[in-house]
Amino acid sequence: MTCWRVKAPLTKKNTKKGAFDIMFTELMFFGLAAMTVLGALGLILFKHPMNGAMSFVVTLISLAGLYALLSARLMFLIQLIVYAGAIMSLIIFIIMFLNIQDSDLPDEKGRGMFLLGGAVVITPIAWFLFKIVKSLPGGDTKIIGNGFGGVKEVGLLLFKNWLLPFEIVSILLLVALVGAVVLAGKRGESK
Amino acid sequence: MEHTAIFYLGLIPLMPLIGALLIGILHVMTCKVGRFSDGFYGLIAVLGPAVSCIMALQVFELLRAMPVDQRILVHKVFTWFSVGELHINMGFMADPLSSLFLLFVTFIGTLIHIYSIGYMAEDKSFAKFFAYMNLFLGSMLILVLGDGPVVMFVGWEGVGLCSYLLISYYNEDRSNVLAGNKAFIVNRIGDLGFVLGMAFLFWSIGSHGFDYVTLKANAHMLTPAIGLVVCLLLFVGATGKSAQIPLYVWLPDAMAGPTPVSALIHAATMVTAGVYMVARFSFLYAHVPAAGEVVAWIGILTALVSAIYGMFQDDIKKILAYSTVSQLGYMFAGVGLAAYSAGIFHVLTHAFFKALLFLCAGSVIYAMHHEQNIWKMGGLRKKLPITYWTMVIGGFALAGCPPFSGFFSKDEILFSALAGGHKAIWLIGVVVAGMTAYYTFRMIFVTFHGEPHSKAAYEHAHEPPPYMTVPLVILAAGALLAGLLNLPEVMGGHQLVSHWLAPSVLDHHVHAGETMEWMAMGASVLAVAIGFFIALFKFAKGAEVPVFSGFTKFAYNKFYIDELYDAVFVQPYKRIGSVIWQQFDPNVTDGPRRFIAGLYGIAGSAFKVLQIGFVRVYAIYMVIGLSLLSILISQTLN
Amino acid sequence: MISNYLTLSVILFSLGILGVISRRNVFTVFMSIEMMLNAANLAFISFSRLHVSMDGQILALMVIAVAAAEASLALAVVILLHKHKGMLDTNIFSLLKG
Repeated sequence: MTCWRVKAPLTKKNTKKGAFDIMFTELMFFGLAAMTVLGALGLILFKHPMNGAMSFVVTLISLAGLYALLSARLMFLIQLIVYAGAIMSLIIFIIMFLNIQDSDLPDEKGRGMFLLGGAVVITPIAWFLFKIVKSLPGGDTKIIGNGFGGVKEVGLLLFKNWLLPFEIVSILLLVALVGAVVLAGKRGESK
Repeated sequence: MEHTAIFYLGLIPLMPLIGALLIGILHVMTCKVGRFSDGFYGLIAVLGPAVSCIMALQVFELLRAMPVDQRILVHKVFTWFSVGELHINMGFMADPLSSLFLLFVTFIGTLIHIYSIGYMAEDKSFAKFFAYMNLFLGSMLILVLGDGPVVMFVGWEGVGLCSYLLISYYNEDRSNVLAGNKAFIVNRIGDLGFVLGMAFLFWSIGSHGFDYVTLKANAHMLTPAIGLVVCLLLFVGATGKSAQIPLYVWLPDAMAGPTPVSALIHAATMVTAGVYMVARFSFLYAHVPAAGEVVAWIGILTALVSAIYGMFQDDIKKILAYSTVSQLGYMFAGVGLAAYSAGIFHVLTHAFFKALLFLCAGSVIYAMHHEQNIWKMGGLRKKLPITYWTMVIGGFALAGCPPFSGFFSKDEILFSALAGGHKAIWLIGVVVAGMTAYYTFRMIFVTFHGEPHSKAAYEHAHEPPPYMTVPLVILAAGALLAGLLNLPEVMGGHQLVSHWLAPSVLDHHVHAGETMEWMAMGASVLAVAIGFFIALFKFAKGAEVPVFSGFTKFAYNKFYIDELYDAVFVQPYKRIGSVIWQQFDPNVTDGPRRFIAGLYGIAGSAFKVLQIGFVRVYAIYMVIGLSLLSILISQTLN
Repeated sequence: MISNYLTLSVILFSLGILGVISRRNVFTVFMSIEMMLNAANLAFISFSRLHVSMDGQILALMVIAVAAAEASLALAVVILLHKHKGMLDTNIFSLLKG
């Protein structure tokens, strides 16, 4: 990642490479963050769930980028493949499967008031969390090279320290699979 | 002074109580599945009083063997309660007065139990009757043997309860139950006076100890005013229990119970509890002569009024009931004038002849198949010889004819009145003696002489079985001979009863000349003879059913006293009750309750909105809670 | 600065809660829940970068696995509910009424 560079005129300011890199990551961060937030806002504001799902995909992809900026290379890939790729496809598939017309959608007349009221209720929670965050010691976010966040490191950790949770998560996935099959098999039980 | 303690003093009341419990349990357990034989229950029932009688004799002998000034036996069973200065033991005390009562109560009780086996035969609740009778006897013995007013009150209440239970024995008939209610309620009014009297007594001198011996020792500390109040209040209790004016109205109604009940409770034992109580508290009454005057006057007036009633009644048991009230009046006249031993002697003789008369009446009723109206009887002399002769003996004793026992006891009282200067009381007493003779022999002549008024019933009449006739004979012997126990000195006797009772009661001995005594005796014999001959003249040949008018009608209806009480006390009380029930209770007591319940209802409706079941709303509640929590925490963390 | 990432996580989380409580559409609610999970993931990975320790990333991996399992089951339930009620409104589920 360190090879990404933007060609800029050689001024006195930007002869320092490090500063330039840092400014670059900052720029990248703000861009990705903006897209994330916009996607989230789209999810909660759109009426049709399909539109909401599309906005949410944008959020997920931007989040993947943020993970990359945090030197988590494997997480970036897994986010893209599993979350944005598999889970969102599943959701969008179901949305399309149910063939939702405008008439099926609930009539959310008071949506604006609820959002406003919700914002009022949530503000203390957000403020509280924000204050906690502010009180943490800061650290820099320089991108770390090899030895952190790659496949080899994650795999080693997974199979040495985190073997038990790993196995349990596999069982969890099996249970979910069986559950999905059972639920799907319930035909003729609904009125 | 150390009193001798014997352990079986407590057993004397216990034996009948155990009998009652045993019979009661057996009856309840078997009344649905089949019953034991009458003989079995009868045996258990008689055993209790009989054993008590034997033990009473032993107690009497023990007391006789002791020197005169130490004749007290005590037995403390357990400490009942001890609160502040009030220490009450469940204890028993036998002194000359209570031992005398013990003797005749247990003896007559046993005889009446034996009689009842015959009288109540084939009754379907035979066992219940004997359970109640034994319970009654046990309570009466507790009353007599109690060592302080509180234990006496336990027995007092117990006999009141048993009186109610036994009066309402034939409980299919509503009027019997109402009679039982009346007895209990009127008794209760008297009990209120008794309790108040006890309370005043305790308040004034009870802090040193609340048993008779201690109270007697401390009686001089009573102020005259409090003494008067205590004596009068205690006497109110006595008027309730012993049927004096104004609380005598229950006794005639109590004749609704079976005849043995009337004999035992309402002639010989329970109604004499009032006299016993006054004699027991003689140390109080002796200090307050005014109270004694009140007691004596009420007694003699009651005697007069009830004798008037008795002259016109037509139910054989009611005649005897009014005669009981009248004789009780004599007894109270005696104890009121501080002639305690005379009054108690009359209790003793009265127990014998009144129980005898009631049992004879029971015999007659049994023979006539439960017919009680004397105008429907007649000519039974030939059919019921034993009953006839014993009843005649009892009648002479009641009338006060020498040499029967009633003469000696009644005469003793009248002589005390005359010699003490209470001429009016003496005169009324003599007149009442004449009336007593009249109504007694009216009853006997109409029932046993003349032509039978109802031929069919006459044919079926027959002498009752030996269970019933043997006690009659025994009691007749007692009625005849008991007078010898207290022969006055002018006749050569030794006044045994008075000397026996002397340590227990504070007699006021009167001394008057021999001539006055003979004159008094002569006057009362004359009155008795006049009454007897008038009755003989009017009724011996058989008489018509009388028609009442004017004063006689007024007397026949008992001066309308019952109706008066009903109008003045009962109806307003019921009205107050219904006002409270309909107006006061729903608004004043239920109002605040309903108001508070309503408040809860409103609060519930307000909070009901939060739980309508929509899951989404619950999620919103969670977030609101989280928000409030974070506000709280961020404040505290600052 | 790491606090920027954490602030972003907080913002995403709040938006997720907002979506859950103010929208009635079943899918929107579900996807808002997914968004909350993602905000948590971001926080995990930020902290793992802060302390230069890989444990946070492992945890984020577990979270994604769980989210996948939960998504499949939730969608199966949504289909059944749609068959049952014919509507996609969270407001109509009131069987807990008492």
